[in-house]
Amino acid sequence: MVEDSGTAAGAGGLRPLNTPIPTAVDATPSGVPRAVLRRGKLVPVARIIDRWRIDDEWWRAPIVRRYFLVELRDGHQLTLFHDAVHDAWYRQPYPAPVERVQRRGA
Amino acid sequence: MKVACLLIPDFAVAVARRDHPETRGRPLIVAAAGEDAPRVRACCPQAVRSGVSEGMVLRRALSLCPKAAVVPADERALAETAAALRTLAERHSPAVEEAAPGHLHLDVRGLAQLAGLADEAYLADLQRAASAASGLPVSIGAGPGVFAAHAAAAAASAEHAGKTGAPPPVLVPEEGVAEFLAPLPVEVLPLPTAMHQRLRLLGIERLGQLAALPRSAVAAQFGPAGARAWDLAAGKDTSTVVPRRPERTAGAAMELPAPASTAEQLLAATSALLQQALEAPALRGAAWRRCTWRLELESGEAVVRVVTFREPTSDGERMLFVLRQKIARLTLPSPGVRLSLKLSGLCGEYGHQAVLWPSGPRRRRELLEAAEQLSARYGEPQIFRVVEVEPWSRIPERQLALVAFGR
Repeated sequence: MVEDSGTAAGAGGLRPLNTPIPTAVDATPSGVPRAVLRRGKLVPVARIIDRWRIDDEWWRAPIVRRYFLVELRDGHQLTLFHDAVHDAWYRQPYPAPVERVQRRGA
Repeated sequence: MKVACLLIPDFAVAVARRDHPETRGRPLIVAAAGEDAPRVRACCPQAVRSGVSEGMVLRRALSLCPKAAVVPADERALAETAAALRTLAERHSPAVEEAAPGHLHLDVRGLAQLAGLADEAYLADLQRAASAASGLPVSIGAGPGVFAAHAAAAAASAEHAGKTGAPPPVLVPEEGVAEFLAPLPVEVLPLPTAMHQRLRLLGIERLGQLAALPRSAVAAQFGPAGARAWDLAAGKDTSTVVPRRPERTAGAAMELPAPASTAEQLLAATSALLQQALEAPALRGAAWRRCTWRLELESGEAVVRVVTFREPTSDGERMLFVLRQKIARLTLPSPGVRLSLKLSGLCGEYGHQAVLWPSGPRRRRELLEAAEQLSARYGEPQIFRVVEVEPWSRIPERQLALVAFGR
Protein backbone atom coordinates (compact mmCIF):
# COMPACT_ATOMS: atom_id res chain seq x y z
CA MET A 1 0.00 0.00 0.00
CA VAL A 2 1.26 3.49 -0.81
CA GLU A 3 2.06 5.40 2.35
CA ASP A 4 0.08 8.53 3.11
CA SER A 5 2.25 11.40 2.01
CA GLY A 6 0.81 13.65 4.65
CA THR A 7 -0.08 16.37 2.16
CA ALA A 8 -3.49 17.94 2.31
CA ALA A 9 -5.85 15.82 0.31
CA GLY A 10 -9.61 15.85 0.04
CA ALA A 11 -11.82 18.61 -1.11
CA GLY A 12 -9.21 21.27 -1.59
CA GLY A 13 -6.49 19.16 -3.21
CA LEU A 14 -6.22 16.13 -5.42
CA ARG A 15 -8.36 13.12 -4.74
CA PRO A 16 -6.68 9.99 -6.06
CA LEU A 17 -8.86 7.77 -8.19
CA ASN A 18 -8.87 4.01 -8.14
CA THR A 19 -7.47 3.63 -4.65
CA PRO A 20 -7.06 0.02 -3.43
CA ILE A 21 -9.93 -1.35 -1.38
CA PRO A 22 -9.00 -3.60 1.56
CA THR A 23 -10.39 -7.08 0.95
CA ALA A 24 -10.51 -10.28 2.97
CA VAL A 25 -8.81 -13.03 1.00
CA ASP A 26 -8.15 -16.64 1.89
CA ALA A 27 -4.79 -17.51 0.33
CA THR A 28 -2.69 -20.62 0.01
CA PRO A 29 0.58 -20.80 1.99
CA SER A 30 2.36 -19.74 -1.19
CA GLY A 31 0.27 -16.57 -1.37
CA VAL A 32 -2.20 -17.48 -4.14
CA PRO A 33 -5.82 -16.43 -3.50
CA ARG A 34 -8.20 -19.30 -2.81
CA ALA A 35 -11.39 -17.45 -1.91
CA VAL A 36 -12.54 -13.84 -1.59
CA LEU A 37 -15.06 -12.34 0.80
CA ARG A 38 -17.78 -10.66 -1.29
CA ARG A 39 -20.93 -9.26 0.28
CA GLY A 40 -20.40 -11.25 3.44
CA LYS A 41 -19.81 -14.55 1.63
CA LEU A 42 -16.57 -16.33 0.98
CA VAL A 43 -16.60 -16.98 -2.78
CA PRO A 44 -14.06 -19.52 -4.04
CA VAL A 45 -11.67 -18.54 -6.83
CA ALA A 46 -12.50 -20.60 -9.95
CA ARG A 47 -9.31 -19.74 -11.84
CA ILE A 48 -6.48 -17.29 -11.99
CA ILE A 49 -6.52 -15.58 -15.34
CA ASP A 50 -3.32 -13.62 -14.99
CA ARG A 51 -0.73 -12.63 -12.43
CA TRP A 52 2.04 -10.08 -12.32
CA ARG A 53 4.25 -8.32 -9.81
CA ILE A 54 5.19 -4.72 -9.12
CA ASP A 55 8.36 -3.76 -7.26
CA ASP A 56 8.82 -0.04 -7.09
CA GLU A 57 10.32 2.80 -5.09
CA TRP A 58 12.76 0.47 -3.36
CA TRP A 59 14.95 3.49 -2.74
CA ARG A 60 12.47 5.04 -0.26
CA ALA A 61 9.24 3.30 0.89
CA PRO A 62 9.30 0.08 -1.09
CA ILE A 63 6.13 -1.02 -2.87
CA VAL A 64 5.89 -4.75 -3.44
CA ARG A 65 2.64 -6.05 -4.86
CA ARG A 66 1.62 -9.36 -6.37
CA TYR A 67 -1.39 -8.85 -8.58
CA PHE A 68 -3.88 -11.58 -9.51
CA LEU A 69 -6.63 -11.26 -12.08
CA VAL A 70 -9.06 -13.90 -10.84
CA GLU A 71 -12.40 -15.32 -11.85
CA LEU A 72 -14.63 -16.27 -8.96
CA ARG A 73 -16.93 -19.25 -8.96
CA ASP A 74 -19.94 -16.92 -9.29
CA GLY A 75 -18.53 -15.63 -12.58
CA HIS A 76 -17.19 -12.27 -11.40
CA GLN A 77 -13.69 -11.15 -12.30
CA LEU A 78 -11.59 -9.22 -9.82
CA THR A 79 -8.10 -7.83 -9.75
CA LEU A 80 -6.57 -8.48 -6.34
CA PHE A 81 -3.13 -7.73 -5.01
CA HIS A 82 -1.17 -8.76 -2.00
CA ASP A 83 0.86 -5.99 -0.45
CA ALA A 84 3.97 -7.87 0.64
CA VAL A 85 5.25 -4.95 2.74
CA HIS A 86 2.17 -4.74 4.95
CA ASP A 87 0.95 -8.31 4.38
CA ALA A 88 -2.53 -7.22 3.38
CA TRP A 89 -4.91 -7.93 0.50
CA TYR A 90 -6.64 -5.32 -1.64
CA ARG A 91 -8.66 -5.17 -4.80
CA GLN A 92 -8.28 -2.62 -7.51
CA PRO A 93 -10.68 -2.40 -10.46
CA TYR A 94 -8.09 -2.78 -13.19
CA PRO A 95 -4.40 -3.29 -13.69
CA ALA A 96 -2.24 -0.32 -14.45
CA PRO A 97 -2.45 0.77 -18.11
CA VAL A 98 1.31 0.60 -18.37
CA GLU A 99 1.17 -3.00 -17.22
CA ARG A 100 -1.51 -3.81 -19.72
CA VAL A 101 0.49 -2.30 -22.56
CA GLN A 102 3.58 -4.19 -21.52
CA ARG A 103 1.78 -7.50 -21.26
CA ARG A 104 0.03 -7.00 -24.59
CA GLY A 105 3.35 -6.33 -26.24
CA ALA A 106 5.01 -9.32 -24.56
CA MET B 1 -47.08 -36.00 -19.11
CA LYS B 2 -45.08 -32.80 -19.02
CA VAL B 3 -45.68 -31.06 -22.33
CA ALA B 4 -48.69 -30.89 -24.62
CA CYS B 5 -48.69 -29.77 -28.24
CA LEU B 6 -51.68 -28.17 -29.96
CA LEU B 7 -51.29 -28.37 -33.70
CA ILE B 8 -53.40 -27.24 -36.61
CA PRO B 9 -51.55 -28.73 -39.58
CA ASP B 10 -51.29 -26.40 -42.62
CA PHE B 11 -52.73 -23.59 -40.54
CA ALA B 12 -53.32 -21.08 -43.36
CA VAL B 13 -55.01 -23.76 -45.47
CA ALA B 14 -57.17 -24.92 -42.56
CA VAL B 15 -58.34 -21.35 -41.88
CA ALA B 16 -59.09 -20.81 -45.58
CA ARG B 17 -61.06 -24.09 -45.72
CA ARG B 18 -63.05 -23.02 -42.66
CA ASP B 19 -63.88 -19.62 -44.16
CA HIS B 20 -64.50 -20.97 -47.69
CA PRO B 21 -66.41 -24.24 -47.28
CA GLU B 22 -67.16 -24.23 -51.01
CA THR B 23 -63.55 -25.33 -51.64
CA ARG B 24 -64.11 -28.72 -49.94
CA GLY B 25 -63.06 -31.64 -52.12
CA ARG B 26 -60.72 -29.55 -54.26
CA PRO B 27 -57.00 -28.85 -53.87
CA LEU B 28 -56.54 -25.45 -52.24
CA ILE B 29 -53.98 -22.73 -52.77
CA VAL B 30 -53.85 -19.69 -50.49
CA ALA B 31 -52.42 -16.79 -52.46
CA ALA B 32 -50.86 -13.53 -51.35
CA ALA B 33 -49.61 -10.49 -53.24
CA GLY B 34 -45.92 -10.82 -54.10
CA GLU B 35 -43.48 -8.10 -55.13
CA ASP B 36 -44.08 -8.66 -58.81
CA ALA B 37 -46.91 -11.20 -59.09
CA PRO B 38 -49.28 -13.09 -56.77
CA ARG B 39 -47.55 -15.98 -55.09
CA VAL B 40 -48.49 -19.11 -53.16
CA ARG B 41 -48.69 -18.34 -49.44
CA ALA B 42 -49.71 -21.88 -48.48
CA CYS B 43 -51.16 -24.94 -50.16
CA CYS B 44 -52.79 -28.22 -49.18
CA PRO B 45 -50.90 -31.56 -49.32
CA GLN B 46 -52.74 -32.50 -52.53
CA ALA B 47 -51.37 -29.40 -54.27
CA VAL B 48 -47.90 -30.17 -52.88
CA ARG B 49 -48.08 -33.60 -54.50
CA SER B 50 -48.80 -31.87 -57.82
CA GLY B 51 -45.55 -29.92 -57.45
CA VAL B 52 -46.86 -26.68 -55.95
CA SER B 53 -44.69 -25.14 -53.24
CA GLU B 54 -44.81 -22.07 -51.02
CA GLY B 55 -43.51 -18.89 -52.65
CA MET B 56 -44.20 -20.14 -56.17
CA VAL B 57 -45.74 -17.68 -58.64
CA LEU B 58 -49.48 -18.35 -58.68
CA ARG B 59 -49.67 -18.68 -62.46
CA ARG B 60 -47.10 -21.48 -62.41
CA ALA B 61 -48.85 -23.15 -59.45
CA LEU B 62 -52.13 -23.18 -61.35
CA SER B 63 -50.46 -24.69 -64.40
CA LEU B 64 -49.20 -27.53 -62.18
CA CYS B 65 -52.48 -27.99 -60.34
CA PRO B 66 -55.24 -26.61 -62.61
CA LYS B 67 -58.11 -27.95 -60.49
CA ALA B 68 -57.00 -26.04 -57.40
CA ALA B 69 -59.27 -23.47 -55.79
CA VAL B 70 -57.45 -20.21 -55.09
CA VAL B 71 -58.31 -18.19 -52.01
CA PRO B 72 -56.65 -14.89 -51.04
CA ALA B 73 -54.84 -15.00 -47.70
CA ASP B 74 -56.93 -13.37 -45.00
CA GLU B 75 -54.19 -12.16 -42.66
CA ARG B 76 -56.71 -10.79 -40.18
CA ALA B 77 -58.54 -14.12 -39.90
CA LEU B 78 -55.21 -15.92 -39.52
CA ALA B 79 -54.07 -13.56 -36.76
CA GLU B 80 -57.41 -13.73 -34.95
CA THR B 81 -57.54 -17.54 -35.06
CA ALA B 82 -53.96 -17.84 -33.84
CA ALA B 83 -54.67 -15.33 -31.07
CA ALA B 84 -57.85 -17.20 -30.01
CA LEU B 85 -55.91 -20.44 -29.75
CA ARG B 86 -53.07 -18.73 -27.87
CA THR B 87 -55.47 -17.11 -25.40
CA LEU B 88 -57.14 -20.43 -24.73
CA ALA B 89 -53.78 -22.15 -24.20
CA GLU B 90 -52.68 -19.39 -21.82
CA ARG B 91 -55.86 -19.95 -19.81
CA HIS B 92 -54.97 -23.64 -19.49
CA SER B 93 -51.24 -23.44 -18.78
CA PRO B 94 -48.89 -20.95 -17.10
CA ALA B 95 -46.21 -21.52 -19.77
CA VAL B 96 -47.17 -21.47 -23.45
CA GLU B 97 -44.78 -21.31 -26.36
CA GLU B 98 -46.04 -20.43 -29.82
CA ALA B 99 -43.79 -22.32 -32.25
CA ALA B 100 -45.82 -20.94 -35.19
CA PRO B 101 -49.38 -19.70 -35.70
CA GLY B 102 -51.63 -22.64 -34.87
CA HIS B 103 -48.79 -24.60 -33.29
CA LEU B 104 -48.41 -24.27 -29.52
CA HIS B 105 -46.48 -26.07 -26.81
CA LEU B 106 -47.89 -26.02 -23.29
CA ASP B 107 -46.23 -26.94 -20.05
CA VAL B 108 -48.88 -29.16 -18.45
CA ARG B 109 -46.96 -30.66 -15.55
CA GLY B 110 -49.39 -31.47 -12.75
CA LEU B 111 -52.34 -29.72 -14.42
CA ALA B 112 -54.39 -32.90 -14.96
CA GLN B 113 -54.01 -33.82 -11.28
CA LEU B 114 -54.93 -30.28 -10.33
CA ALA B 115 -58.12 -30.59 -12.37
CA GLY B 116 -58.79 -34.03 -10.84
CA LEU B 117 -58.69 -35.71 -14.27
CA ALA B 118 -56.77 -38.54 -15.85
CA ASP B 119 -54.20 -37.38 -18.43
CA GLU B 120 -56.30 -38.61 -21.36
CA ALA B 121 -59.44 -36.88 -20.09
CA TYR B 122 -57.52 -33.65 -19.53
CA LEU B 123 -56.16 -33.74 -23.08
CA ALA B 124 -59.60 -34.48 -24.53
CA ASP B 125 -61.02 -31.54 -22.59
CA LEU B 126 -58.21 -29.28 -23.82
CA GLN B 127 -58.78 -30.43 -27.38
CA ARG B 128 -62.51 -29.73 -27.24
CA ALA B 129 -61.86 -26.24 -25.92
CA ALA B 130 -59.17 -25.54 -28.55
CA SER B 131 -61.35 -26.76 -31.39
CA ALA B 132 -64.24 -24.62 -30.14
CA ALA B 133 -62.01 -21.53 -29.79
CA SER B 134 -60.50 -21.83 -33.26
CA GLY B 135 -63.40 -23.41 -35.15
CA LEU B 136 -60.90 -25.93 -36.53
CA PRO B 137 -60.01 -29.53 -35.73
CA VAL B 138 -56.98 -29.34 -33.45
CA SER B 139 -54.54 -32.24 -33.13
CA ILE B 140 -53.17 -32.76 -29.68
CA GLY B 141 -50.23 -34.79 -28.43
CA ALA B 142 -48.51 -34.98 -25.08
CA GLY B 143 -45.34 -36.52 -23.75
CA PRO B 144 -42.41 -36.12 -21.43
CA GLY B 145 -40.66 -33.60 -23.73
CA VAL B 146 -41.40 -30.91 -26.28
CA PHE B 147 -40.42 -32.99 -29.29
CA ALA B 148 -42.28 -36.10 -28.11
CA ALA B 149 -45.45 -34.01 -27.67
CA HIS B 150 -44.99 -32.39 -31.07
CA ALA B 151 -44.36 -35.74 -32.76
CA ALA B 152 -47.44 -37.19 -31.06
CA ALA B 153 -49.62 -34.33 -32.35
CA ALA B 154 -48.14 -34.64 -35.84
CA ALA B 155 -48.68 -38.43 -35.80
CA ALA B 156 -52.27 -37.99 -34.62
CA SER B 157 -52.90 -35.54 -37.43
CA ALA B 158 -51.24 -37.74 -40.09
CA GLU B 159 -53.24 -40.82 -39.04
CA HIS B 160 -56.45 -38.82 -39.21
CA ALA B 161 -55.75 -37.25 -42.63
CA GLY B 162 -58.76 -37.25 -44.91
CA LYS B 163 -61.24 -37.79 -42.07
CA THR B 164 -63.47 -35.15 -40.54
CA GLY B 165 -63.29 -33.84 -37.00
CA ALA B 166 -60.32 -33.80 -34.69
CA PRO B 167 -58.08 -36.84 -34.24
CA PRO B 168 -58.05 -38.44 -30.77
CA PRO B 169 -55.26 -37.15 -28.49
CA VAL B 170 -52.03 -39.14 -28.43
CA LEU B 171 -50.14 -39.53 -25.16
CA VAL B 172 -46.53 -40.73 -25.24
CA PRO B 173 -45.52 -42.59 -22.06
CA GLU B 174 -42.35 -41.46 -20.34
CA GLU B 175 -40.55 -44.80 -20.67
CA GLY B 176 -41.49 -45.48 -24.30
CA VAL B 177 -40.45 -42.33 -26.16
CA ALA B 178 -37.87 -43.92 -28.48
CA GLU B 179 -40.25 -46.78 -29.33
CA PHE B 180 -43.04 -44.32 -30.12
CA LEU B 181 -40.81 -42.16 -32.30
CA ALA B 182 -39.17 -45.01 -34.23
CA PRO B 183 -41.91 -45.59 -36.88
CA LEU B 184 -42.59 -41.86 -37.48
CA PRO B 185 -41.44 -40.25 -40.74
CA VAL B 186 -38.40 -37.96 -40.65
CA GLU B 187 -40.62 -35.02 -41.65
CA VAL B 188 -41.71 -34.61 -38.02
CA LEU B 189 -38.19 -33.43 -37.18
CA PRO B 190 -38.00 -29.63 -36.92
CA LEU B 191 -35.52 -29.32 -39.78
CA PRO B 192 -35.44 -27.50 -43.12
CA THR B 193 -37.24 -29.28 -45.98
CA ALA B 194 -33.92 -29.69 -47.80
CA MET B 195 -32.59 -31.79 -44.93
CA HIS B 196 -35.70 -33.97 -44.90
CA GLN B 197 -35.11 -34.57 -48.60
CA ARG B 198 -31.42 -35.39 -48.04
CA LEU B 199 -32.36 -37.91 -45.34
CA ARG B 200 -34.81 -39.58 -47.72
CA LEU B 201 -32.21 -39.63 -50.50
CA LEU B 202 -29.94 -41.54 -48.12
CA GLY B 203 -32.74 -44.03 -47.50
CA ILE B 204 -33.51 -42.74 -44.01
CA GLU B 205 -37.29 -42.45 -43.91
CA ARG B 206 -38.15 -43.20 -40.28
CA LEU B 207 -36.83 -41.81 -37.01
CA GLY B 208 -35.89 -45.31 -35.90
CA GLN B 209 -33.53 -45.63 -38.89
CA LEU B 210 -31.91 -42.34 -37.99
CA ALA B 211 -31.51 -43.29 -34.32
CA ALA B 212 -29.94 -46.63 -35.32
CA LEU B 213 -27.03 -44.83 -36.99
CA PRO B 214 -23.98 -43.73 -34.98
CA ARG B 215 -24.52 -40.17 -33.72
CA SER B 216 -21.05 -39.15 -34.85
CA ALA B 217 -21.76 -40.31 -38.42
CA VAL B 218 -24.98 -38.25 -38.58
CA ALA B 219 -23.17 -35.24 -37.12
CA ALA B 220 -20.36 -35.64 -39.67
CA GLN B 221 -22.85 -35.74 -42.55
CA PHE B 222 -25.29 -33.03 -41.43
CA GLY B 223 -23.37 -30.95 -38.90
CA PRO B 224 -24.87 -29.69 -35.62
CA ALA B 225 -28.41 -29.89 -37.06
CA GLY B 226 -27.82 -33.59 -37.72
CA ALA B 227 -26.60 -34.20 -34.19
CA ARG B 228 -29.68 -32.46 -32.83
CA ALA B 229 -31.92 -34.49 -35.16
CA TRP B 230 -30.28 -37.71 -33.94
CA ASP B 231 -30.83 -36.71 -30.31
CA LEU B 232 -34.50 -36.01 -30.96
CA ALA B 233 -34.98 -39.24 -32.93
CA ALA B 234 -33.37 -41.21 -30.09
CA GLY B 235 -35.75 -39.61 -27.59
CA LYS B 236 -33.08 -37.40 -26.02
CA ASP B 237 -34.81 -34.05 -25.85
CA THR B 238 -33.67 -31.51 -23.29
CA SER B 239 -35.62 -28.55 -24.68
CA THR B 240 -38.22 -26.88 -22.51
CA VAL B 241 -41.28 -24.77 -23.17
CA VAL B 242 -40.12 -21.17 -23.50
CA PRO B 243 -43.12 -18.96 -22.85
CA ARG B 244 -43.48 -15.68 -24.69
CA ARG B 245 -43.04 -12.59 -22.61
CA PRO B 246 -46.07 -10.38 -22.88
CA GLU B 247 -45.21 -6.92 -24.13
CA ARG B 248 -45.55 -4.20 -21.53
CA THR B 249 -47.53 -1.24 -22.68
CA ALA B 250 -49.01 1.89 -21.20
CA GLY B 251 -52.08 3.57 -22.52
CA ALA B 252 -54.92 5.93 -21.89
CA ALA B 253 -58.21 6.71 -23.57
CA MET B 254 -60.87 9.39 -23.36
CA GLU B 255 -64.25 10.29 -24.79
CA LEU B 256 -63.77 13.72 -26.30
CA PRO B 257 -65.95 16.29 -24.48
CA ALA B 258 -67.23 17.52 -27.85
CA PRO B 259 -66.77 16.07 -31.34
CA ALA B 260 -63.35 17.29 -32.41
CA SER B 261 -62.18 18.03 -35.91
CA THR B 262 -59.43 20.63 -35.48
CA ALA B 263 -55.79 19.85 -34.85
CA GLU B 264 -55.78 22.07 -31.73
CA GLN B 265 -58.54 20.08 -30.03
CA LEU B 266 -56.87 16.80 -30.88
CA LEU B 267 -53.47 18.03 -29.69
CA ALA B 268 -54.90 19.16 -26.36
CA ALA B 269 -56.54 15.76 -25.86
CA THR B 270 -53.35 13.95 -26.94
CA SER B 271 -51.29 15.98 -24.49
CA ALA B 272 -53.65 15.06 -21.65
CA LEU B 273 -53.57 11.38 -22.59
CA LEU B 274 -49.78 11.34 -22.82
CA GLN B 275 -49.54 12.81 -19.36
CA GLN B 276 -51.99 10.22 -18.04
CA ALA B 277 -50.16 7.31 -19.71
CA LEU B 278 -46.73 8.41 -18.54
CA GLU B 279 -47.87 8.81 -14.95
CA ALA B 280 -48.79 5.13 -14.49
CA PRO B 281 -46.99 4.43 -11.18
CA ALA B 282 -45.49 1.07 -12.20
CA LEU B 283 -43.92 2.46 -15.36
CA ARG B 284 -43.06 6.01 -14.39
CA GLY B 285 -39.80 7.14 -15.94
CA ALA B 286 -39.78 4.28 -18.46
CA ALA B 287 -38.72 5.09 -22.01
CA TRP B 288 -40.91 4.09 -24.93
CA ARG B 289 -40.10 3.51 -28.55
CA ARG B 290 -43.53 3.51 -30.17
CA CYS B 291 -46.84 5.28 -29.82
CA THR B 292 -50.09 4.10 -31.40
CA TRP B 293 -52.56 6.96 -31.69
CA ARG B 294 -56.16 6.02 -32.46
CA LEU B 295 -59.06 8.35 -33.11
CA GLU B 296 -62.55 6.93 -33.44
CA LEU B 297 -64.79 9.00 -35.63
CA GLU B 298 -68.48 9.81 -35.40
CA SER B 299 -68.99 7.80 -38.60
CA GLY B 300 -67.74 4.64 -36.88
CA GLU B 301 -64.39 4.58 -38.70
CA ALA B 302 -61.08 4.88 -36.92
CA VAL B 303 -57.90 6.75 -37.82
CA VAL B 304 -54.75 5.08 -36.53
CA ARG B 305 -51.25 6.50 -36.63
CA VAL B 306 -48.25 4.57 -35.38
CA VAL B 307 -45.23 6.68 -34.55
CA THR B 308 -41.82 5.17 -33.90
CA PHE B 309 -39.53 7.58 -32.10
CA ARG B 310 -36.02 7.97 -33.39
CA GLU B 311 -34.81 7.32 -29.86
CA PRO B 312 -36.75 5.80 -26.96
CA THR B 313 -38.07 8.57 -24.77
CA SER B 314 -39.91 9.16 -21.53
CA ASP B 315 -40.49 12.81 -22.32
CA GLY B 316 -44.12 13.61 -23.05
CA GLU B 317 -43.17 16.90 -24.71
CA ARG B 318 -40.95 15.13 -27.20
CA MET B 319 -43.65 12.56 -27.95
CA LEU B 320 -46.16 15.33 -28.49
CA PHE B 321 -43.74 17.12 -30.81
CA VAL B 322 -43.56 14.05 -33.06
CA LEU B 323 -47.29 13.36 -32.89
CA ARG B 324 -48.10 17.02 -33.63
CA GLN B 325 -46.76 16.67 -37.16
CA LYS B 326 -48.95 13.62 -37.82
CA ILE B 327 -52.04 15.20 -36.31
CA ALA B 328 -51.61 18.49 -38.17
CA ARG B 329 -51.60 16.65 -41.51
CA LEU B 330 -54.85 14.76 -40.81
CA THR B 331 -57.92 15.35 -42.93
CA LEU B 332 -60.86 13.84 -41.11
CA PRO B 333 -63.99 12.69 -42.97
CA SER B 334 -66.04 13.25 -39.78
CA PRO B 335 -65.33 14.58 -36.27
CA GLY B 336 -63.53 12.41 -33.73
CA VAL B 337 -65.40 11.25 -30.64
CA ARG B 338 -62.96 9.01 -28.82
CA LEU B 339 -59.19 9.17 -28.60
CA SER B 340 -56.82 6.55 -27.26
CA LEU B 341 -53.09 6.04 -27.31
CA LYS B 342 -50.83 3.17 -26.47
CA LEU B 343 -47.12 3.35 -25.72
CA SER B 344 -45.10 0.24 -26.50
CA GLY B 345 -41.50 -0.83 -27.04
CA LEU B 346 -40.45 -0.38 -23.42
CA CYS B 347 -36.68 -0.03 -23.15
CA GLY B 348 -33.94 2.02 -21.56
CA GLU B 349 -33.42 5.61 -22.53
CA TYR B 350 -30.25 6.39 -24.46
CA GLY B 351 -27.59 8.18 -22.51
CA HIS B 352 -26.24 11.40 -23.93
CA GLN B 353 -22.88 12.90 -23.16
CA ALA B 354 -23.53 16.51 -22.34
CA VAL B 355 -20.96 19.13 -23.30
CA LEU B 356 -19.82 21.23 -20.39
CA TRP B 357 -19.05 24.45 -22.26
CA PRO B 358 -20.58 24.35 -25.70
CA SER B 359 -20.61 28.06 -26.37
CA GLY B 360 -17.38 29.69 -25.33
CA PRO B 361 -16.16 31.73 -22.36
CA ARG B 362 -19.53 33.04 -21.30
CA ARG B 363 -20.88 29.56 -20.75
CA ARG B 364 -17.69 28.63 -18.88
CA ARG B 365 -18.07 31.65 -16.59
CA GLU B 366 -21.64 30.57 -15.81
CA LEU B 367 -20.50 27.07 -15.01
CA LEU B 368 -17.69 28.30 -12.76
CA GLU B 369 -20.14 30.51 -10.95
CA ALA B 370 -22.59 27.59 -10.52
CA ALA B 371 -19.75 25.39 -9.19
CA GLU B 372 -18.75 28.11 -6.73
CA GLN B 373 -22.35 28.43 -5.53
CA LEU B 374 -22.53 24.67 -4.94
CA SER B 375 -19.23 24.74 -3.05
CA ALA B 376 -20.51 27.62 -0.89
CA ARG B 377 -23.78 25.84 -0.21
CA TYR B 378 -22.31 22.47 0.83
CA GLY B 379 -19.04 23.76 2.31
CA GLU B 380 -16.84 21.77 -0.08
CA PRO B 381 -16.49 21.32 -3.84
CA GLN B 382 -19.20 19.26 -5.48
CA ILE B 383 -18.00 19.18 -9.08
CA PHE B 384 -14.67 17.70 -10.07
CA ARG B 385 -12.72 16.96 -13.15
CA VAL B 386 -10.36 14.09 -13.79
CA VAL B 387 -6.72 14.99 -14.31
CA GLU B 388 -3.75 12.84 -15.20
CA VAL B 389 -1.21 12.97 -12.41
CA GLU B 390 1.36 10.29 -13.21
CA PRO B 391 -0.02 8.48 -16.26
CA TRP B 392 3.21 6.57 -16.59
CA SER B 393 3.07 5.19 -13.03
CA ARG B 394 2.84 1.47 -12.46
CA ILE B 395 0.81 2.18 -9.33
CA PRO B 396 -2.80 2.49 -10.52
CA GLU B 397 -3.95 4.96 -7.88
CA ARG B 398 -1.21 7.41 -8.84
CA GLN B 399 -2.25 7.79 -12.48
CA LEU B 400 -5.46 9.82 -12.20
CA ALA B 401 -6.97 12.13 -9.66
CA LEU B 402 -9.99 14.36 -9.16
CA VAL B 403 -9.50 18.06 -8.81
CA ALA B 404 -12.20 20.55 -7.91
CA PHE B 405 -13.74 22.09 -11.02
CA GLY B 406 -12.64 25.69 -11.52
CA ARG B 407 -9.36 25.45 -9.63
